[in-house]
Order: sequence, then C-alpha cells, then structure tokens
Amino acid sequence: MSIASELKIVFTGPMGAGKTTAITAVSDFPPVSTEMQNNDQQSFAKESTTVALDLGQIGLGDGTVVRLYGTPGQERFSFMWEIVGRGSMGVILLLDGTSPTLLADLKTYTEVFRRIAPDQPFVVGVGRTRPDDYTQIDACLRVIESLQFSAPVFSVDVRKREDVLLLIETLLATLEVSQPEFAT
Amino acid sequence: MTLPNSRFDADLVRLGAHHLEAFAAANADVLLAVLTSGDGFEVASYPPNQTMTPKIAAMSSSMQALSEALTREAGLAKNRNVIIETDSGTVLILGLAGTQRLSLAIVAKSGELLGKLLWASRNLCKKLETSLQK
Ligand SMILES: Nc1nc2c(ncn2[C@@H]2O[C@H](COP(=O)(O)OP(=O)(O)OP(=O)(O)O)[C@@H](O)[C@H]2O)c(=O)[nH]1
Ligand SMILES: [Mg+2]
Repeated sequence: MSIASELKIVFTGPMGAGKTTAITAVSDFPPVSTEMQNNDQQSFAKESTTVALDLGQIGLGDGTVVRLYGTPGQERFSFMWEIVGRGSMGVILLLDGTSPTLLADLKTYTEVFRRIAPDQPFVVGVGRTRPDDYTQIDACLRVIESLQFSAPVFSVDVRKREDVLLLIETLLATLEVSQPEFAT
Repeated sequence: MTLPNSRFDADLVRLGAHHLEAFAAANADVLLAVLTSGDGFEVASYPPNQTMTPKIAAMSSSMQALSEALTREAGLAKNRNVIIETDSGTVLILGLAGTQRLSLAIVAKSGELLGKLLWASRNLCKKLETSLQK
C-alpha cells in the first residue's frame, strides 16, 4: 500500500542551487516552468531564472504520486515561498557548496520553511562539493544542530537523476517515521 | 528624472518612463504603471520611486509567467493579459511582444471603465513595442 496517494514536497534554496534542474531531472513529464531571462548575472551567472514556481511530478511504484514544487531562489520573489510552501509535507533544501553564503542560506531557508509548515521534515542536498571532501557537509550538520533541528545532509549533483531520487526517497522515509499515519 | 534601474539600457528606461508618464496623465484613475523585465525587475515606473513598486514588479512578473504557463497547459494560444478586479480597483498585467519578455503592470482605482482602461493599456503596449523596435 502507498504511504499516501498524493504528496506535495517543495524544493527550495538560493538562486542557482539547482531546484529547476533537480525537478527536471526526475519529473515524469516536462515540468511546468516559469523560467525567464536572468538580468542579474552578478548574483548568479546563468541564462534563466525561475520567477514563480516549478511543478513536476513523479509516480512511485506503489501508486503514490509525489508533486514536486520548486520555489524561485531570488529574495525578490520571497512572497512565492509562502505560497508554494503552504501545505507541503517535506522540504528538499538545495545549497551550493561553493557559495560564500552556504551556511547563511541554510539557516535562512530552514527558518523560513519551518515557519511555513512547522513539523515537516527536511533533507539537505549540497551541490558542487568534491566527493571526498566533507568540510561543507560537516559545517551544515553543525548549523542544523545549532538550530535544534535534525535533517540528513547529502552531497549531490542535481543534474543526476539518481542523486535527486536519493533526496526524495530519504525525505519520504523520514515522513513515514515521523508521521506514521502515512504508513499503512 | 531619476532612472530607476541601471541594469537596463538607458534608452529603454528613458523611453519607458516617458510613455508611462504620458499614459498616467491621460488616464486619471491610474495609480501606478510599471514596466517590468521578465524576471521581475523594474525597468521604468510612473509615478517614479514608489515604495511598493519593486514588489509590484516582482509579483506581476510571477503572475505573468504563471498565466503563460497556464495558457500553455490549457493548450491555448499566446497569453495576452491578466485582469484582477477588486472592490476598490483593478490591476492589469500585459505582456509585451518582443524577445525581452517585458510586461506592463497597471494599478487603477475603480471609476475607470475596465474596457476603457484595457483599451488604453493595450495602446500603451503597442506604443512601447513600436518604439522598442526602433
Ligand atoms: N558544474 C556544475 N553545475 C551544476 C551542478 N549542479 C547544478 N549545476 C548547474 O547549475 C545550474 C542551476 O540552475 P537552476 O536549476 O536554474 O537553479 P535554480 O536553483 O532553479 O535557480 P533559480 O530558479 O534562479 O533560483 C544549472 O545550470 C545546472 O546545470 C554541479 O554540481 N556542477
Ligand atoms: Mg529555478
């Protein structure tokens, strides 16, 4: 049996962390996208940026449908965080391991999304890390602990489907443990 | 006149500001007109330097992008505009033709007939589109 027939999870994190890339990598159909030309190359040099949301979907073997929502990363669109975050059952927080604001971003997004949906579990994916270097992962774990919170942290490449699936599966497993009513 | 955004070509900003000002002068119920980049930055606005403008710019670009996404999902042809009617006024968001994906947000208090406002706003779009092509 399924843990629930339909689940909503949210990918969030700063600009360029790879929310849109991650959802595109795993979605069963081309995601609904709101990409627009990026006029803020200073903040993050890339072609396009999300201005409203991403929406993809992945069906699990047991019939569960997981709706994958992505937020815009830029502060300017923070009003969308609340709108997209409402009603989510879990958060996948994506971060850029090479960013000087890595730990500040971790703190900000954790606080904001815990406030929007207080009891939901988080899974953190840190991108652009070297596979043998745990410095950023350890630093993230310490910040999470200092927030009196707990969340697994993985080193990921969001361009790889299996890495994104790992994040989703870990989140769903956490959900089953923390909210056993979803398990049948 | 202050140029709100050095992010964009100075000619574009000046031209935008000029057209928005003329539009507001001719349409007394218009409270705010903002020309916005696809990714939610203010290009020009009238009246200039309003506190709410950056937020209106960001929000209108989100709405515009969402309505385009909805239009695509529904299998309809190109999205033209978003109309929000409230008890005290109207917000229009109109997409401009062209590669820059600019849009125009108009906030008006009630009084102006919606049809007239829409007609005037579409005319403004055409003017902007024409002068941006040059
Ligand atoms: N080289 C490299 N590129 C990566 C890695 N992870 C992600 N990227 C790239 O980083 C970019 C991330 O862009 P998006 O997916 O648009 O990021 P986003 O988080 O949706 O950003 P906003 O919507 O602007 O907030 C993409 O071009 C990815 O291909 C990585 O580990 N290495
Ligand atoms: Mg994105």
